[in-house]
Amino acid sequence: MSLMGRLYRGETSYDFVGARRAFLIVSSTLLLVSVVSLLFQGLNLSLDFRGGVAVEAENPAGAGVGDVREALAPLGLADARIQLLADGQELRVQTEALDPDEADAFVRAVATVAGTEVTDTSVDEVGPTFGAQITERAVLALVVFLGAVILFMSWRLEWKMAFSGIAALTHDLIITFGVYSITGFEVTPATIIAILTILGYSLYDTVVVFDKVQENVEAADRVPFTDIVNKSMNQVLMRSINTSLTSLLPVGSLLFVGSFLLGARTLLEFALALFVGIAAGTYSSIGVASPLLAVWKEREEEWTRIRRRLNRVSEDAVRPSGQARPPAEKARPRTTTGATPRPPKKRRR
Amino acid sequence: MRRHLVPLLVLVAIAWGGVAAALAFGVTPVLGLDLKGGTSVTLRAPDGTDPEVLQKAVEVMQRRIESFGSVQEPEIQISGDYNVIVQLPGVTDRERALTAIGQTGELSFRPVLESSFLVSPLLVPGLLESTTTTTVAATSTTGADDSTTTSTEPATTTTTTLPPGVDPETGLTIEDDPTKEAWLAEYAEDGTVLEVYHVGPSQLSGADLDSALAGFAGGSTSIAQWQVQLDLSNEGAAKFQEMTKAAASYPLGDVRRQIAIVLDGEVVSAPQVNADVDPNVGISGGSAVITMGSGENQQQEAQDLSVILRYGSLPVAFERDQVQNVSATLGADSLNAGLVAGAGGLILVALAVVLYYRSLGLVTVIGLSVFGSLLLLVIGLLSRYIGTTLTLAGVTGIIVSIGITADSYIVFYERIKEEVRAGRSINAAVEEGFARAFHTILTADTVSILAAVLLWLLAVGPVKGFALTLGIATFLDIVVAYYFTKNAVWLMAGTRLGHGGWFSIEGASGRPVSEGAS
Repeated sequence: MSLMGRLYRGETSYDFVGARRAFLIVSSTLLLVSVVSLLFQGLNLSLDFRGGVAVEAENPAGAGVGDVREALAPLGLADARIQLLADGQELRVQTEALDPDEADAFVRAVATVAGTEVTDTSVDEVGPTFGAQITERAVLALVVFLGAVILFMSWRLEWKMAFSGIAALTHDLIITFGVYSITGFEVTPATIIAILTILGYSLYDTVVVFDKVQENVEAADRVPFTDIVNKSMNQVLMRSINTSLTSLLPVGSLLFVGSFLLGARTLLEFALALFVGIAAGTYSSIGVASPLLAVWKEREEEWTRIRRRLNRVSEDAVRPSGQARPPAEKARPRTTTGATPRPPKKRRR
Repeated sequence: MRRHLVPLLVLVAIAWGGVAAALAFGVTPVLGLDLKGGTSVTLRAPDGTDPEVLQKAVEVMQRRIESFGSVQEPEIQISGDYNVIVQLPGVTDRERALTAIGQTGELSFRPVLESSFLVSPLLVPGLLESTTTTTVAATSTTGADDSTTTSTEPATTTTTTLPPGVDPETGLTIEDDPTKEAWLAEYAEDGTVLEVYHVGPSQLSGADLDSALAGFAGGSTSIAQWQVQLDLSNEGAAKFQEMTKAAASYPLGDVRRQIAIVLDGEVVSAPQVNADVDPNVGISGGSAVITMGSGENQQQEAQDLSVILRYGSLPVAFERDQVQNVSATLGADSLNAGLVAGAGGLILVALAVVLYYRSLGLVTVIGLSVFGSLLLLVIGLLSRYIGTTLTLAGVTGIIVSIGITADSYIVFYERIKEEVRAGRSINAAVEEGFARAFHTILTADTVSILAAVLLWLLAVGPVKGFALTLGIATFLDIVVAYYFTKNAVWLMAGTRLGHGGWFSIEGASGRPVSEGAS
């Protein structure tokens, strides 16, 4: 309760930046595993990216995998990927890209063996070049988006924050793709959408933290930057936890429904990426973006001067194990927790 | 007091009243075909296709789909430089849909048996002036044999016995089968019927044509005219000779001397075989010229005709890029799953905020319902007036936006707490906290909106639908935060619900919420 109580009142004083080595180890391990898996195992791209035909049909005839394979053999499609869904009540058959006529014959064959009508099947047919086009557009959108975000955050916050945010974002994207690579889940257009959402979410989360940092920087008076970042993160910690919770609840609901309800495969594909991405996004704004910003800013002349002066003051003081703590303790009375009057340069009223 | 109450009430009235009105007038979101079943086809024209040609192809498809019947709100759009996306909600017969749009039309040359054949009073005789100034000029030499192959069996023109396959309303054959006789119309550009032809079975198809080129040249007559030069394959040449020989056996002016060029059940042109063609020979040599006249209109006509002869009705040979066919049941399942997941997520979020934030949680729940109503209203209006549809990707976008919207409340409430801890009165904390929180919300939401706008502009396919709902939802989030949340919390702070721990803020009143001050 006391932890909850302190969390609740925003009075925790975790040294997030001081724990950056731990974060670094965690993040680099995750990144390494992801990159290795991406390099050697790659991604299981759905037919939307490489072209192909997929048929989904109800299966009143109760056809098994063997039956379907046999029915497709005359068409030379015996190596199609055949899946039974929903306890064999549904069939899903996939092949490589086919000529229009072959594709039609394929759909008819599957419908016949499943004992259903062609008009009751769901078919996805994708030409071999279409996926390349989607990917191209998505990458273009990504690049333009990142450029726009860097400009916007540089203007509204500052450019080092923009690049720290982008670093955290890249971290989240690599890990999400890594999870897809390791688990072998199919990457579909729905996944891409989900990943684009993560893009927004990850930055959104980072922006909330940095906005607080900036506010505290403006209010602060001769406090090391690291301490400001730490204080800001502690202040928004409860918000981070609550927001992750309220974001993960609907997504969890999607995952649950997607796994248990028939015909909700798209939802499942979508929800998995979101779940991983939101979790990574919350972690990375604390564990990647903020420490990175703190370390980066501490190198600036203004902030090194402050740190040097504070170190001189506390030279005689007994130094406990934590490195970032003593100046924080020293500085605390001088920081504006909101109790002291705000400085005159107030941005909003 | 009024400063806070009025905007709040106005927004709630717009949201709830608007949704009630929308439901009453049937302005509800139109479901995309992945939610209600249907076929979506993405076609790709070869690189370097003229945009005008693409536009023409879209017009042709539009006409074909109209003739397809029973398609609710078909949608054809050009996407990017070379893509055409066709959406056919409710059409689950994939092969028929593909035939209707993707394939170049079936071109056939058929003997004319009769023209201005009237079955229906709809075909007013006044419309039946022949505007075809076209004639087939011969490039022929003499041959032997005199055999007319016309199997003319003029159908009964009585009103009672209609030939099979003829629509009694229009007097035209409904679905043209080139191997059979048919009653087909030639249309003017505005869609009115110029002339109705009774034509025989096809004797020559588009495959027999090697090329068709429009040009301006002197024909057999001395005056230079717009014309279309036909070159036939070896096989085609023989068929064509046979056909023209039969036609030439009729006197000039007889409709049976004409040859109908039929495309997709429409007569495109019906040129007459020239006077100088020997009925014993026909047009031989594998090439022919259709002369059109020398006017400017004729230039257009010649060019259009040559395009049709070359490509069938679609002026471009499209490739199927993507065909997505969703059965009605799968669509309904997806919709249900989306609704269940959305409702479940909403209830969970509502529970969590009420448990944690108590009376403020209640504000959040009402705020979410205002937000949801506005979202429904906006998407409904967009469906009605711009024709956007709500797809599965859109539904997931909405579900995701629940979380992002809830965050705006959380940022605000945590801010209030901070201000209260700093010793402000609760109303001052609300004012000051909101100003600060709104800055954060605005910054973070701008990033989301930026993402939505760019995705909408740059991405293709389902991503667009997602971007649209995400963008609208984020925008509404800002609106609701500014007009509803701030004012609702301020008003509540003045009531008993704002005190005694109901706000879940220690120090908001005398009684602390959790034990032990640090």
